[in-house]
Amino acid sequence: MLNYKTATNGEINYNGVVVKEISPTMKLNLRGKKREFLTNIGKNLNLLLPTEANTSTISDKLTAIWLGPDEWMIITNDLVKKDTNEYQLNDLLFNDISKKNLGAVIDVTDQFVQLEIKGKNIYEIFSAGSPFNFNEFKDKKGSSGQTILNHIDVIVLNKGDEIVNLFVRRSFAKHLWSWIKDCALRL
Amino acid sequence: MFLINCPYCGERDQQEFKAGGEAHIERPKQPTELSDDQWAEYLFMRKNIKGVQFERWNHAHGCRKWFNMARDTSNDEIKAIYKMGEKPPPQ
Repeated sequence: MLNYKTATNGEINYNGVVVKEISPTMKLNLRGKKREFLTNIGKNLNLLLPTEANTSTISDKLTAIWLGPDEWMIITNDLVKKDTNEYQLNDLLFNDISKKNLGAVIDVTDQFVQLEIKGKNIYEIFSAGSPFNFNEFKDKKGSSGQTILNHIDVIVLNKGDEIVNLFVRRSFAKHLWSWIKDCALRL
Repeated sequence: MFLINCPYCGERDQQEFKAGGEAHIERPKQPTELSDDQWAEYLFMRKNIKGVQFERWNHAHGCRKWFNMARDTSNDEIKAIYKMGEKPPPQ
């Protein structure tokens, strides 16, 4: 991760809702339809991409989130080195997928801000600004979804134990951060 | 506000979708052989009927996939949803 001005500052901790940024993690966007694409990804990542809508799969190092029938996002479970923007996995997949015309591998590490939202009141905040039905989502660890929160496109991922990860585009992150802060204050 | 059953993601709120106009309009194979009137007919003229209309929709804030929908424009009732490339259901 390159140096940048952070979109968020510190931590939100009001009324049992704790929000902080998880940084730096690697994020890759994968697109492809061919069967070779799926087998190649499986071999390289040691992880099966989820084929069911609104789900994710997890290995000890990586998480794969379903974004569409031919689109996934791969994130690292642990933090990565801060002073570099080069990832071995990205190079590996680029050579094995993009160069062989099987699909597309795009590094979206700096594009998305990953927020961790924790607490038992978090779904009160989501229901205030999102049309997404969280009933099934909140009971199932690993469920994911792309939706709107306060008119901003977000990817949500249920990590279990009342922890939800939120991926938001960097340019919208500051606005969403202050909206969540405002919401948490009024709970 | 109504719920739309995205063929890929499942039931979602209308807010997440964008309407993409009338479906099943075929681009003429030889545009150069058409008269201006015929080209304008293809380019601009839409049915805009009261009743069941076939439309394209995009799940813009979700999976970003396009799909087709048969919708009754008089009461917003969704009659059928089917993927791109599939044939429309009989009326």
